[in-house]
Amino acid sequence: MSDQKQMSRQIRLVEKTAGKMAQESAETLAWLRARDDYLQGFDYFLDLAEKGFDPQSSDSVREKAGRPLIYLLCIQAPLELIHAAGFHPFKIFSGSFAAGNLSAHGLPTLICPLMRSILGAMQMTGNKEEQPWILPTTCDWVVKFPEMMKLFGAAEQRLHWLELPHIKEARESQGLWLDEMVKLKGFLEQLSGRKISRNALLDSIAVYHRAWQALSRLVSLRRQGLLSSAWFLLITNTFFLGKAENWTAALEKLLPTLPCSVNSAKRRIFLAGSPIFFPNFKLPRLLEEAGLCVTGDDICSGERLFPGGVSFKDSSVFGLIEALAQRYHQGCLCPTFADNQRRIRNIEAQAEHFDGVVFHVLKGCHPYDLESYTIESGLKKQGIKFIRLETDHASEDSQNLLTRLEAYSHTLPSSGLRPPSPRERGEGNNSPHPLAEEGRGEGIRCT
Amino acid sequence: MKVGKVGIGLDLGSTAIKMVITDGEKILCGLSTATAPGQEEIGRQLIARGLESLDLKPEQVGSITTTGYGKKLYSAADLNMDEISANAAGIFRLSRGQARTIINIGGQDLKVITLDNDGKVLDFRMNDKCAAGTGRFFELVSRLLDTPLSEFGDLAGNSGHEVQLSSTCVVFAESEIISLLARGVAREDIIHALHASVARKVAAMMGRTPHDDAIYLDGGPARNRGLVEAIEDELLCDIMVLDDPQFTVAFGAAIARQLSAPTDKP
Repeated sequence: MSDQKQMSRQIRLVEKTAGKMAQESAETLAWLRARDDYLQGFDYFLDLAEKGFDPQSSDSVREKAGRPLIYLLCIQAPLELIHAAGFHPFKIFSGSFAAGNLSAHGLPTLICPLMRSILGAMQMTGNKEEQPWILPTTCDWVVKFPEMMKLFGAAEQRLHWLELPHIKEARESQGLWLDEMVKLKGFLEQLSGRKISRNALLDSIAVYHRAWQALSRLVSLRRQGLLSSAWFLLITNTFFLGKAENWTAALEKLLPTLPCSVNSAKRRIFLAGSPIFFPNFKLPRLLEEAGLCVTGDDICSGERLFPGGVSFKDSSVFGLIEALAQRYHQGCLCPTFADNQRRIRNIEAQAEHFDGVVFHVLKGCHPYDLESYTIESGLKKQGIKFIRLETDHASEDSQNLLTRLEAYSHTLPSSGLRPPSPRERGEGNNSPHPLAEEGRGEGIRCT
Repeated sequence: MKVGKVGIGLDLGSTAIKMVITDGEKILCGLSTATAPGQEEIGRQLIARGLESLDLKPEQVGSITTTGYGKKLYSAADLNMDEISANAAGIFRLSRGQARTIINIGGQDLKVITLDNDGKVLDFRMNDKCAAGTGRFFELVSRLLDTPLSEFGDLAGNSGHEVQLSSTCVVFAESEIISLLARGVAREDIIHALHASVARKVAAMMGRTPHDDAIYLDGGPARNRGLVEAIEDELLCDIMVLDDPQFTVAFGAAIARQLSAPTDKP
């Protein structure tokens, strides 16, 4: 095929994908807006989602954030440090099925759907400009991401790797991670052309601390079953799509107007596993349809958006970086860590707030997939009900998932079959069950 | 027929719609037909035929509970019930409280359900986007071999040579079977290999599920004795099959109201 023909085909493909992506986004937004528990206070987040997911999203985000962007994957790079250097941390994500299809032809069949989708969405922009990226060496997909991006024709990117030590309890690892933070500071300073000052860092810590506090209040409401997971995920998903201060202000304004609905009849679940990203809200939708209310999660696009509040005694620049390093490493529950028992303990510690655990595995997301077995075993020993759902961004398995969720819902406490009578158990009754005895004698079977 | 109120269960599955009328104790009537567009009308016709065959009036129907993928497509239902809970309720009642593990092979699902001593679902596993080991798999092989499914059990018993059907993918299994046929492999051996392949799939799904207790196989393919033997051989234990295993889920739905089983109002 000639270059010209290939180019023309690519343009058509991108246009077609753009249309499908817009449709996916519009459908999810319409579903959210039509909900009974919709409040005007959600508009800010709906607007961010609407603007932030078109192919020109980076322009929109840059404009809204009012700062140059630093592209991120995962959640280990301290946002405060990036912000203090004058940049806006823009965590790249996409739950678009259409975007995933755009890149699928050049990728392994069994690849993390999130990565497939991100690579597709990145193609939409042409990827012809050099962008600064911070990439922690978390899973294999992230480590190979720049290579794959290049295969799809992206320009040479300005990459900064964060070598993530995978044994977080080891002192040596913690030292190595601190070194990585110092190197990151150097990278950011080189990029901005100015030193990160103590005051700038303190200000940035305050910005994200306030955001974390607002999110914590939202989490508390959710623990009580007073906020649907759809809204919760919309709010957390949109954090990186605009100025952090504005997002916090919008959330603080929304909080007093909540709760927007109370449904005490629903069974409460804890959602664990792979992240869920807009516009793919398939799982939150199905959970609600099955009568399940998410009261907590440990997904990195949800409650694990922030690793927690940063506390420090030494307010020198180094002391603050040390505090950030500790928080973003020790406080992280990513399954790529070798010693991640804290994740199970974290779920167990919240057991009073839920009736069971739904573990979401994005097909091809190996760390979560593998860890699901350990978590299942640990939780079942504690008598906590557990279901593992493996899926991707396609909608074709919705009915299958719904069947499982409905049945799972009925296995949770406060539900189930009436205990059978002694007769039903075959106790104290010498006559066998009528059907077993009589077989098909008096009925008709037309198969 | 002299009965009081009867319960009706309608299992609107992916390949067949099954209808059961019960007095709460036994299947008075079981009817099924292939799934096709217009499921509401098909369900209505099955119920009408069933009532007529038992000489029952519509006023004698206590409740209609639907289950299966199409459970919400029947607007006249009093209750909806997921098929896993319906399966558990049906088998537990029909086995007189003996069943503790159910292997269900449906049109496009394969499920393993474990029950507690009260018949409540303790845990379950279900295939995701893969038709291997399901009724569709059997239908495909039936077409390829031009052999009715009802003959599979007897033919597998006549297998003389061990053949491996290695694929766990329906699509690839098709080409594998075509190549076996081209090599002159007898259809008896292919059917035997198919049963072994499905049995391995079942065993993989059972995984670490404890299965010392009574295991019941149901769903349409459970009528295939060759498959039952293959699963027994793979799991190294006895497998129980009740009469009319294709109706157990519909029966579970039919007794839903009586059992206060987990249901939702449509």
